[in-house]
Amino acid sequence: MIEEPYRWVEAIANRREYIEDQLRRGSPIVLLNYADGLLLLTVSRETRKIFEVYDRVAFSALGHPADIERMRLVAIDLAHIEGFNRAVNDVSLRRLVNFGMSPALKGAFEQVYSAPYIVKILLAELGDDPEHDSIVKLDYDGSFARSDVEMKEPFDVLAGTAEAEKQMLDYLLEHGGNPRRSLDDALRLAAKTWAVGMETAERQDKVEGEETPPEKIDAEKAFKEHLKTRHVEAAVLERSRPATGKFRLLEEKEIRAALKDL
Amino acid sequence: MDHPTPLPQFLHDGDFLSVLKAHGYEVAPRLADAAAKFQHEAGKGGIATEGTTVLAIKYKDGVLVAGDRRATAGNLVMYERAEKLINIDSHSVLAIAGVPAVAFEMARVLEHSFKYYLRSQLQEMSTAGKVRSLSKLLKENLPLTLQGVGMVVPIFATYEVANGKDGGGKVYFYDALGAQFEGVDYSASGSGSLSVRSVLHYLNNWGGKPLAKYTESEIIVAALRLLDTAADSDTATSGYNPKSNIFPLVRTITKDGIHEISEIDLAKAYRSEV
Repeated sequence: MIEEPYRWVEAIANRREYIEDQLRRGSPIVLLNYADGLLLLTVSRETRKIFEVYDRVAFSALGHPADIERMRLVAIDLAHIEGFNRAVNDVSLRRLVNFGMSPALKGAFEQVYSAPYIVKILLAELGDDPEHDSIVKLDYDGSFARSDVEMKEPFDVLAGTAEAEKQMLDYLLEHGGNPRRSLDDALRLAAKTWAVGMETAERQDKVEGEETPPEKIDAEKAFKEHLKTRHVEAAVLERSRPATGKFRLLEEKEIRAALKDL
Repeated sequence: MDHPTPLPQFLHDGDFLSVLKAHGYEVAPRLADAAAKFQHEAGKGGIATEGTTVLAIKYKDGVLVAGDRRATAGNLVMYERAEKLINIDSHSVLAIAGVPAVAFEMARVLEHSFKYYLRSQLQEMSTAGKVRSLSKLLKENLPLTLQGVGMVVPIFATYEVANGKDGGGKVYFYDALGAQFEGVDYSASGSGSLSVRSVLHYLNNWGGKPLAKYTESEIIVAALRLLDTAADSDTATSGYNPKSNIFPLVRTITKDGIHEISEIDLAKAYRSEV
């Protein structure tokens, strides 16, 4: 039946709806610049969501854990083969996404007889200076956007719904402030932005269809509420790190110290 | 059940070599290429390069690794700035003696293998695992070694911090066939290593205090003196070359990672102690 063009379009639309429904409740991810690089933060129940891909490339995702893992390994394999065959500096986020990850996702998405990847990915690459940092958002269907690189402040968010992402970006733009912020300040801002996203997604779930005037979200309160059952996960790409690998997973005590008076 | 169920396989075991293989890279032929080039050059009248003296010594804070800078081909000095110490990861250094073309290829494979394992498996490879990886590469190189070309005799020095434990400095040395040995206190490799080993043995036993008690500045001086001793009788080893101001490479590996001893510090040590 899917040989007919109309059926195919229908099948794809169903697929989209199914995947988006699966992603709705995913824990948002915040990517934020700070004085010494880029910070990635999310709040997770158990499984890890933020990973190192290569010396200067970090990966984070929401979706099905097995699909996250598969895409993570695709990225790591590609990066290491390239870094080995050519040179470490030839591994670039743009090439990883354009010629590797995006085609893989698109291919899986359009094979209507097999399972698609239920995953949304946010990738960051640390440049030699802030002007050369780059961020890419990659969707389950392989479409991607290099986001906000032209902006003076590189930051981005990833969430289960478009509305949650919009609320988070609005919050960031409103409270953004100083791009030379310290890591502690960045952690606090990222945590609050995360709470705005999570809260928005949950409210959307509750009101489903009803048109209620949106109540203003108290980010700090929402954050504390969620932290009862989850823990904060954060990693940085640090420009001043002496090793060739710039990725560092933040330790729990570091995060706790920064967020204690939130 | 009549037959035991087959063992499940790791879907992903973090082995970089198998990933490379799937993408058309085979280690043995690549090493053979490097060695063939060596043989070809040697056949033309001795312009194939070989490396010479490297050493690794455990001291108070970790391990010191040092190597002279001379690469030779037969009786010719090919290059006076060869780098025979290669950082493999944040806490490991490979010191190479033998054919650089083959050794550098091995180092490249190792470096990416360890990185790949760490990132894909989300844990650091154990020291034993790292030591085995190098041994495997040497075994891949076995046919060449038996032909007498492309022989590599490395030292692997590391500070064990994998997965939160502090295991201290470790020194492993290999024979060209891939057998691995843990050096208790020190190890040396290359054409100048004979005299170095003799002096190290003397120092360790009757030198006043064992090498493991040496401080950083003491061990640096000792390493420089040892390279000078090797250079004295082995023409293929250079000590400090005052004419062109070339210093040996000296690195220490401690709990915090690898530290390169700067030329300024080496110059100071030479002036006052060697």
